[in-house]
Amino acid sequence: MRKLILAIAFVATTFGVAMSAQAQQGNPFPEGPGREIVAVACTQCHAPNAITQLRMNEAGWRNQIYDMVLRGAQIGPNDIDAATKYLATSFGPGVPFPNQQPVDVKLPDGAGKELVEGGCALCHGVDRVAATNRSKDQWEKIVNRMVFYGSPISGDQVTSIVTYLDQNFGVKQTAAK
Amino acid sequence: MKDLLKKYLDSGISRRQLMRGLSAVGVSGVAAKTLADSFAPTPAMAQAAAPGGTDGIREVKGNGGMLYMQQLKSAGVKYMFFNPSTGDAPFYDAAVDVPEIQLIKGIQEGAVVAMADGYARLSGNVGVAHIANVGLPNGMTQLVNSWKDQIPVLLTVAAFGTETAGRDYAQDYDHQEPMLQPITKWFWVAESTAGIADVTRRALKFATTPPSGPVFLSIPDDLLKAQATAQVYDKKLFSVPMRIRPDQKDTEAVAKMLIEAKNPLITVGDEVTMCQAEMEVLQLAELLGIPVAGQGGQGNWSKPFPTKHPLFIGAFVRNMRFPGPVDVHFNIGDQGAEKQMQGTTLISMRRDPTGLARAWPVNMPLVSDIKLGVADIITAVKAMATKEKLKQIADGRAGRAGEYSAGMAKLRQAMATDKDAGSGNSINMVRLGVELEKGLEKDTIYVSDCDSGRSMDPFLAWGGADKSYISTGPNILGWGVAAAMGAKLARPDRPVVSCVGDGSFMFGGPQPLWSQSRYKAPVTNIVVNNMSYNNERNRIWTFIAGQQFKTGKDMTCYNGSPDVNHAKASEAFGVEAEVVIEPGKIQDALGRAKRANIEGRPYLLDIHVDRAGVGAASEWYPPFSIADMRTRKV
Repeated sequence: MRKLILAIAFVATTFGVAMSAQAQQGNPFPEGPGREIVAVACTQCHAPNAITQLRMNEAGWRNQIYDMVLRGAQIGPNDIDAATKYLATSFGPGVPFPNQQPVDVKLPDGAGKELVEGGCALCHGVDRVAATNRSKDQWEKIVNRMVFYGSPISGDQVTSIVTYLDQNFGVKQTAAK
Repeated sequence: MKDLLKKYLDSGISRRQLMRGLSAVGVSGVAAKTLADSFAPTPAMAQAAAPGGTDGIREVKGNGGMLYMQQLKSAGVKYMFFNPSTGDAPFYDAAVDVPEIQLIKGIQEGAVVAMADGYARLSGNVGVAHIANVGLPNGMTQLVNSWKDQIPVLLTVAAFGTETAGRDYAQDYDHQEPMLQPITKWFWVAESTAGIADVTRRALKFATTPPSGPVFLSIPDDLLKAQATAQVYDKKLFSVPMRIRPDQKDTEAVAKMLIEAKNPLITVGDEVTMCQAEMEVLQLAELLGIPVAGQGGQGNWSKPFPTKHPLFIGAFVRNMRFPGPVDVHFNIGDQGAEKQMQGTTLISMRRDPTGLARAWPVNMPLVSDIKLGVADIITAVKAMATKEKLKQIADGRAGRAGEYSAGMAKLRQAMATDKDAGSGNSINMVRLGVELEKGLEKDTIYVSDCDSGRSMDPFLAWGGADKSYISTGPNILGWGVAAAMGAKLARPDRPVVSCVGDGSFMFGGPQPLWSQSRYKAPVTNIVVNNMSYNNERNRIWTFIAGQQFKTGKDMTCYNGSPDVNHAKASEAFGVEAEVVIEPGKIQDALGRAKRANIEGRPYLLDIHVDRAGVGAASEWYPPFSIADMRTRKV
């Protein structure tokens, strides 16, 4: 699993160059099958950034598309798979954010630290993790939700990550600066 | 023939006698009917022709409170929603002797106004609310819903007396009435006791004349106590029907465009509901096979077109992927859908001339009563093409629309099958929608004050022979439970369900349940409890994506901690209630609510649902404790 995380991180870095170029041209949606569906249907009610700043796998994006369809987005049954795959490819876990410099946060050492850096940082900076102290129960709910959205973390790793987060960012700990 | 017509106009013969006479002189049946119609007296003519011209006028003696109540009675008002205050006593003293008007008491002024508003939406009559003068700003919060949705509400207060107003007493503030200016059609301060009936009548006229809306009347308390004589009028003497039809040439032009259009679209909005034009709109859409969009999302409070109809294609957006580039867009009574699409001719029929073409260019604006205007277009369409030709046109268009709507229904079915995805044994909005569609009666009046509920609405059938959907356009929360009380009063023989978010329920507080309990209103109240302003957070985090999103800190929207038990709060008001947490227990709970309603009691279900979207799992909120600030434990 660790290798998988590193591999995704490598792909992300490579793909990020293309994304940055794309962003510099002012087009928030990269080329790919399904782009037309997303670019038209999803921008009738909100700006593209409501999509481009999120990172989810197919299950997460499908869930999101379903919710939008129920709110009025015109994405039909024949378009769902294409739109889902497009979003999961273009804005999936590991796809970096163009023109965004990661906030330099040094996590405390400890078992689970690498998993947090690998599993959580695929979709957002670890600064988000370190910014808030939460109860163990809360960390567990959040990590499970992240797994649903596509973080490549196994069941055992969930336990390790939650323990690490509770020890270092639990309700009685001080948030990292 | 001339003699016949003269006799008819002089009311010497009846319409039937006129028709017979015309037939006798060789006029065909159709022509005779047309002639008779064209000479039929208008309501104004009928009013003028009333014996002596004073039928429906009564002279009343009494104090100002009595004059007010007597004018309401003559106008056909049956209910007055109120909360009491000292200066109002003359109204309620009068109510003792005017049993035709039932008082309905609310607790907070916002709930009183929302009850009147809900009653008006369902009954089509003016909702009359009388609230404590000092609590006027509370009532104004809900009056915004009435204003934006053009609901006829008469709001009155008993103000400081004419001799003492302006002295800056504890509950007095100068010129309160202009506060109402932006949210009323008209506001006024009564200036004499004898004039109270007159200004009340005027208030009712302004509220109910389309485009209708709320009005405000302030009556100084010394005028309420003083005695006077005044005339009160029956409603028919000041009711203005506004049955306006579009110009015939315009009607024919619209009919021609709709027939010849390559890819037409109809959008519908609340003015269809207000003009009771649902059948006409459905008939026009079916006659020409035109897909129908709209009536969803913020800005609309009703769903007049049946949502399960094959021609209904969902919400209106400016760039419709289906049906593709629209060449003729016929907007019927929806300000939100009055938007220009590229390459499209926009025809907009509105009963409200002030809203028409207010924001976007409209190629063909038509002011009309929606029911009459659409009926005229149907007549014109039928006159322009044979039945066979119309069927040919309709079949081609309807086939495409039917395929699209069937596909979307299939997609919803797939979602329903996968309804518990990612939710484990908790309730998500899809599951709740599916369960409500299964458990609610088909003729339910569903009063929605729940932003999160929009994602379950498509799983329920609305309009036509199905459930009636009532909400508010501007979403001023705290409306639903009180409005449902008003709705049940207007339609006691139909099941009424209020569906409110936990945010809305806490906005309004459980206090509207007091009225449901006091008056034995058999309403089922559903609190969709996700312990959050869930959609607000989603929009803040995704649309704005500022520091809260970046740090994962929800500074504003989490409502848990305390985790409010709304069922317990409900029971404190005498309304039976239960908490529902598991999906498999929803139907049984709905069954218990239904039984309570059948037995004449309100019921409340506090249904816990998942938060959904970005940041949904977080229960974090800014930690702050006043107890910790203390230097003394007091």
